[in-house]
Amino acid sequence: MSQVKRIVVAAVCAALGIVLPMAFHAIPNAGAVWLPMHIPVMICGLVAGPVSGAVTGLLAPVLSSLLTGMPATGMLPQMAVELVVYGLVSGALSEHVRTGATSRDLYVSLVGAMLAGRAVRGVASALIFSPGAYTLEAWVTTSFVTSITGIVLQLAVVVPIVVSLERAGLVPPRYPQQ
Amino acid sequence: MRAAAGYVWGDSPLHRTPASAKLAALLALSLAVALAEGPALAAALLVLLALVALSRVGWRRALAPVWGMRWFLLLVVAMNALLLSREGALLELGPLALTPRGLAQGLTVATRVALVAALGALLTATTRPQELVEGVRRLLSPLARLGVPVEPAALAVGVTVQFVPTLLRESRQLIWAQRLRCGDVASRGIMRRAVSYVRLLVPIFVSAFRRADELSAAMEARGYRLSDTPTGPRTREGRRA
Repeated sequence: MSQVKRIVVAAVCAALGIVLPMAFHAIPNAGAVWLPMHIPVMICGLVAGPVSGAVTGLLAPVLSSLLTGMPATGMLPQMAVELVVYGLVSGALSEHVRTGATSRDLYVSLVGAMLAGRAVRGVASALIFSPGAYTLEAWVTTSFVTSITGIVLQLAVVVPIVVSLERAGLVPPRYPQQ
Repeated sequence: MRAAAGYVWGDSPLHRTPASAKLAALLALSLAVALAEGPALAAALLVLLALVALSRVGWRRALAPVWGMRWFLLLVVAMNALLLSREGALLELGPLALTPRGLAQGLTVATRVALVAALGALLTATTRPQELVEGVRRLLSPLARLGVPVEPAALAVGVTVQFVPTLLRESRQLIWAQRLRCGDVASRGIMRRAVSYVRLLVPIFVSAFRRADELSAAMEARGYRLSDTPTGPRTREGRRA
């Protein structure tokens, strides 16, 4: 994939990161439960690499906050950190994990990114954004309880979307000879 | 689905101000609003009202993002007012206690969020996407000396801002097409509504990536090049795809 295409893919995924939450906000409290902004960030990392994934992870929340007011300013730094890590780690793992099966590679990269993003967000909240006021219970609740629907959604749709993009010839196949 | 912010044609002093100056002002004002309390926050509100009047984009358009966030803002006020503390409670209901301090804190936070959202909307209403890209490029240009890739950053911001209305329109068309096939999903329960949106994800992504493919091919065909640092996924043999 050329450098120009990687940047365009990152920008289009960032635009999807703004549009999807707008669609999902027709459902009450959808942002925190369904996590629609996470999906394009992870997909960008998986198909275009860690730099593009990190760019999408930064642009999507910042521009969404600017254009639609969501996420709210107070939430923006934590969310941006989390999303940048999702994009970066999904891309880095996608580059290096080679099990011989596309879906297996993608699931390993996706789950690794989901765990790393939540871990970094927890550490950043505890040390930088809410020092002294952030507890382990709060981290578990926001990372795994409130967002369980979003986690299930990501596990259910991210890999099939990447496989669909590969089959449509819109991103390079991981194993061209298969 | 909420309306996306977009450019409003006009020739006001705010429209004529360079995008880089508006971006820098937005960053400075957002920081000031985040730190402001009491009279300073009231002053920031007056500045916003003056800017809206100066921009001539209309009150409805300028304050649309705030209206779109009304339930969220109410929730912020309510949670602060009822959960912040129990000291000097005006009303107590089990674990909830309505306090003047909590109410003041909730109003302060909600006002800050609303002000930043309205300032952002004012920027996009008075600045064309191309001008915004140029503004980002100018604002970031000093960082080029430190090795920051300013050109790709400006390109990414510009393409993102330009794609939002396009993808929003396509998503709406897909939702309407689904309604025609399956009936109005909005009248169903939350879960069925959510599942109906999830089903649209694959066509939305395929359509968006097709547009990305076409745009990058057109840019490359016109000779647009950036430094070719390979970062994409490798093939099994270790080559970059």
